[in-house]
Amino acid sequence: MTGQILVNSLVTASLYLLAATGLTLTFGLSRFPNFAYAEFVTAGAFIGFLILQNPDGNILTALLLSFFGVGLISMLSYSVVFRPLVARSTNLIYLMISSIALGYVLRHTIGEIWGWRTQSYQQLWQVYQIGDLRITFLWIIMFVTALCAGIILHLFLTRSRLGKAIRAIANNPDLAAVTGINKQKIILLTWFFGAGLAGTAGVFRAAATRVVPMLGWDILLPMFAVTVLGGIGNFYGLIVAALILGFAENFGVVFLTGIGLSNEYRMAIAFVILIVILVFRPKGLAR
Amino acid sequence: MDPMVFLLDTLVFVGIFMILTLSLNLEYGFTGLGNFGKVAFFMVGAYIYAITIQFGLPFYISLVLGAVVAAILGALVSLPALRLREDYLAITTIAFGEIVRIIFKAEQAIAGGVWGIAVPSIFQDLNLSIRMSVIVNLLLIYCMVAVIFIILQMLTNSPYGRVLRSIREDDEAVAALGKNVIYYKVQVFMIGSAIAGIAGGLYAQYLRFIEPNMFLPLVTFFVWIMLILGGTGNNKGALVGALLIEFISRGSRIAKDYVALPVDPHNVQFVLFGILIIILIMYWPNGLLREKQIQTVPERRIAHGDSVSK
Repeated sequence: MTGQILVNSLVTASLYLLAATGLTLTFGLSRFPNFAYAEFVTAGAFIGFLILQNPDGNILTALLLSFFGVGLISMLSYSVVFRPLVARSTNLIYLMISSIALGYVLRHTIGEIWGWRTQSYQQLWQVYQIGDLRITFLWIIMFVTALCAGIILHLFLTRSRLGKAIRAIANNPDLAAVTGINKQKIILLTWFFGAGLAGTAGVFRAAATRVVPMLGWDILLPMFAVTVLGGIGNFYGLIVAALILGFAENFGVVFLTGIGLSNEYRMAIAFVILIVILVFRPKGLAR
Repeated sequence: MDPMVFLLDTLVFVGIFMILTLSLNLEYGFTGLGNFGKVAFFMVGAYIYAITIQFGLPFYISLVLGAVVAAILGALVSLPALRLREDYLAITTIAFGEIVRIIFKAEQAIAGGVWGIAVPSIFQDLNLSIRMSVIVNLLLIYCMVAVIFIILQMLTNSPYGRVLRSIREDDEAVAALGKNVIYYKVQVFMIGSAIAGIAGGLYAQYLRFIEPNMFLPLVTFFVWIMLILGGTGNNKGALVGALLIEFISRGSRIAKDYVALPVDPHNVQFVLFGILIIILIMYWPNGLLREKQIQTVPERRIAHGDSVSK
């Protein structure tokens, strides 16, 4: 039983890591939380649906398509909406409102194209039984994707010039600009890559549950909880935070059902963690 | 539906949204606090009203109870985030809105869970026709709008309001002058939440039935559109914004019955509202009515014994 919960926790953590990587990186770079990330996840789920509504659709194709599709949507939204707003030195609250507004535009465009009824991917995932553990093929791909994304991002952030530039801008934008870093190019790249990962998270979430336009909004709360818990803009903090929330949720749900509460309170766990962090360590775990 | 009743019903909703927009205006327009979970306090007010009125309490006591509980929750939710940057407050309040809805949805015992809860009307003994009962509610709600408007107008034009505006502009400078900024912010959050709670109570009383899905994050978003369109920092602007947006929203609902569109008007409406708010923020961030200079009497004039009425 405990082993199964551990596996489930890892799966949850992988999902949150993929969904929130872009959120935390762009939050760190552009200095505002992009609430439209919920809809980036949803958009990924629906782009994946193009492929996976056929029983013989390949999930890797769907993941790639979602990654590039959502990445492009994100880049476009940055260029059309957020870059002009930042250039007009719009205040933080208005930037957040705009991102919520963008979320509504995306969600209802998705609702218009694919409809609001509940749909699902047509794949059957192979189930492996290892002792007491039940593991599906989907979980394995999800975990491997999260792991690869983590390793690639780690190498990118520490080894490449661009990755170092991202950290430099997040740390001190003015100083970074003085050293000749092309800030706009790097911000655009981060918006693309981060949202692409959120798109793949959407495919995984949809494959595990169902495809609805509210899909992303339903995990917005844990996404923000891990972002704040890990420290805004801190990718390594995010990994730890995703694991913590993954374990907290899966063990918490067992505990909650044990004392007779609805498992709808799963989201409340993320909220409690969020409040505790704000009270005791507002800068996140790392600092 | 009887067209007259439809119009009156629209005006009732306008009134409720006016109260909500006024409360957000106090928080954001005057004090610079971004409350992204307005709907939570609205919902708490509505549910506390719906639950307590079942015990046969007088209507105004239930309304006040809803406001008090909303205010207490407002303080509890905002306190951890108020000493941090605005984005933390936004994340906390948006999360709180979701949590309140989840609780009322999951707990059948509190107020019927997803099935909702019926609210006895305070006018049921009068045996009114549908039209008359809407009119009576309309009067009640606009009386509250007027009272809240006058109170807020006085509050924001008082020395207290001057402190709030200066907190919005530069809270560190205000703190340097020896004002306890957090204390003011929590107070404002409590007043704003209490007003939203009153709106919730009136909403429950009017509709005579509430359920969790009436309190989606959409309500908060609408209130923000109304405030930004009307003009932040201007109480009259809040009223105008609420009126315009509610009428546009209702109008498009009627238009849907007469105009055959190849797309779902519900989706189109939200896409357009989303685009509208981005355009407003980009090109017209001050809204229809601009913020007026504060109406307090300068100290110098009081000292010289000039009449206050000037």
